[in-house]
Amino acid sequence: MKFNRHLRNKSGLHLILMVVSLITVAPYFWILSTSLKFRTEVFTQTPKWIPWPINIQNYLEMFEMAPFHLYLLNTIIVVTGILGVQLVTITLAAYVFARKNFWGKEFFFFLFLTQMMIPIHATFLPNFLTLKHFDLLNTRVAMMLPFFASGYGTFLLRQAFRQIPKALEDAAVIDGCGGLRFLWHVLIPLAKPTLIAFSIISIVSHWNDYLWPLIVTDTPEVRTLTIGLGMFVQQESGADWTLLMAATAFVTAPMLIFFLVFQKKFVESFMLSGVKG
Amino acid sequence: MKRIYRLTTYGYLLPGLFFMGIFTFIPVFMSAYLSLFKWNINNPEPSFTWFSNYIEVFKAPLFWLVLRNNLVYAFTTIPLSMSLALFLAILINQKMGWVRSLYRGSLFYPTMIPMVAAAMLWVWIFNPGLGIFNYYLGFLGFPKLEWLYDMRYALIAIIIMSIWKNFGYYMLIFLAGLQGIPNHYYEAAAIEGATGWKQFRYITFPMLAPATLFVFIVAIISSFQVFDQVFVMTQGGPGDRTNVLVFYIYQHAFRFWDLGMGSTLTTLFILGLLVAIWLVFRVIGRRVYYEV
Repeated sequence: MKFNRHLRNKSGLHLILMVVSLITVAPYFWILSTSLKFRTEVFTQTPKWIPWPINIQNYLEMFEMAPFHLYLLNTIIVVTGILGVQLVTITLAAYVFARKNFWGKEFFFFLFLTQMMIPIHATFLPNFLTLKHFDLLNTRVAMMLPFFASGYGTFLLRQAFRQIPKALEDAAVIDGCGGLRFLWHVLIPLAKPTLIAFSIISIVSHWNDYLWPLIVTDTPEVRTLTIGLGMFVQQESGADWTLLMAATAFVTAPMLIFFLVFQKKFVESFMLSGVKG
Repeated sequence: MKRIYRLTTYGYLLPGLFFMGIFTFIPVFMSAYLSLFKWNINNPEPSFTWFSNYIEVFKAPLFWLVLRNNLVYAFTTIPLSMSLALFLAILINQKMGWVRSLYRGSLFYPTMIPMVAAAMLWVWIFNPGLGIFNYYLGFLGFPKLEWLYDMRYALIAIIIMSIWKNFGYYMLIFLAGLQGIPNHYYEAAAIEGATGWKQFRYITFPMLAPATLFVFIVAIISSFQVFDQVFVMTQGGPGDRTNVLVFYIYQHAFRFWDLGMGSTLTTLFILGLLVAIWLVFRVIGRRVYYEV
């Protein structure tokens, strides 16, 4: 009953939060609700939030109309491909920035920081020409290449590596565990929370990529979920909302399920994303 | 021996620098170089024309409309979503037990949704006849509006959906900042008789400065990169009233295949963004480090 008393003391606070939360969540309920309706049920004068009778046919029909299973597979390949290479490039670079002194260090670090400020949107035209030149257009690799280096990830990880005491490295070197082995056996395990945080942010943001895949793909075989959804809309020309909302629900579901299951980890990761050294 | 050691140090940087060089830095210079050429459907062979593309851009009334649209978008979404985020972060940071994660999750989840999917959803919500937006606004006495099909309201509709999509992430960053403020600051302030507004003005606000700066920079970059929702919801229309910079670049480069013009706009885009970020650091950045 402690909670009840507490609720009464702060009823104003909870009222505001509840109203705002409701307004934010309602649109998503509207996706689910519409996607489970029969076509004719959509045309009601007052919004019908609870679909009854429930119709799951839309979810089956969307797979017949477009290869969403293929889009899902492509998205998973692209997202994991990007993350895999990113983890290698950022770990190596963050290691030397945190642990070594060398000529030009400040300059190179400045370059890595600058990359954060230059958005992919500002590089898409030259990148398109480059990929065209190497005949890489319309491949899954094309969707990954511009993201392989991450100044942001390097910066986050450098901060984590710097927190690890220098004495640990001296001890490791004396025991004959220097360079890459030290990085692998000591630094990486200790920086695991940062690596996980970066991975979550990378997965979420590339799952949602749109413009770049739109530019470099033109056949369904390589397209990702977001592009597939965009194409589906044009194909449907906005006529059948139950089907469109089923597709929208399918595209958004994987990340939202992950988020619901690992909410704490996700929230921590995104909170960490803004911490400045 | 020493030389080998140095070389391996650069070796660690190489993979990152390689991809960054090819896909970030060379493109910036490539755009700047290509912006000096006429290169489009009518001129399939690029010809060097100095700054004629730039003159053409500045002479086009549409460019100024696009710039205006994007500035309106930035100057509305940034302050609105930042203040909403800060306000809600302060509320959520109060002691409240398990419901906190419920509120936090419901406010933050739009960040997890692809912008394209969110845009789809809001096209449905803004639907003039069947959309729930018009329906519930009707209760407040608003007339039924055409939203995305009306030159006056299309940009406002996009602004509303973008705030819904983005404020949750900013709220989380503010929340992280708030949790970093030691509690004894507030206790000390309470003993001195500072309450409510004064605590916010003299403790919370200055202590939050680094988080605010971070959110501000992220918000600026994202508000000038807005594209996905425009592409799905309006295609820049009606009457170019929702045409924004990246969409304008996209049209020139990949619809009209005017690569010279696309490069010119890209170069202006990068310059503008870097100048904006530099200004923010000059004006606000310094104060942040002094106050903390």
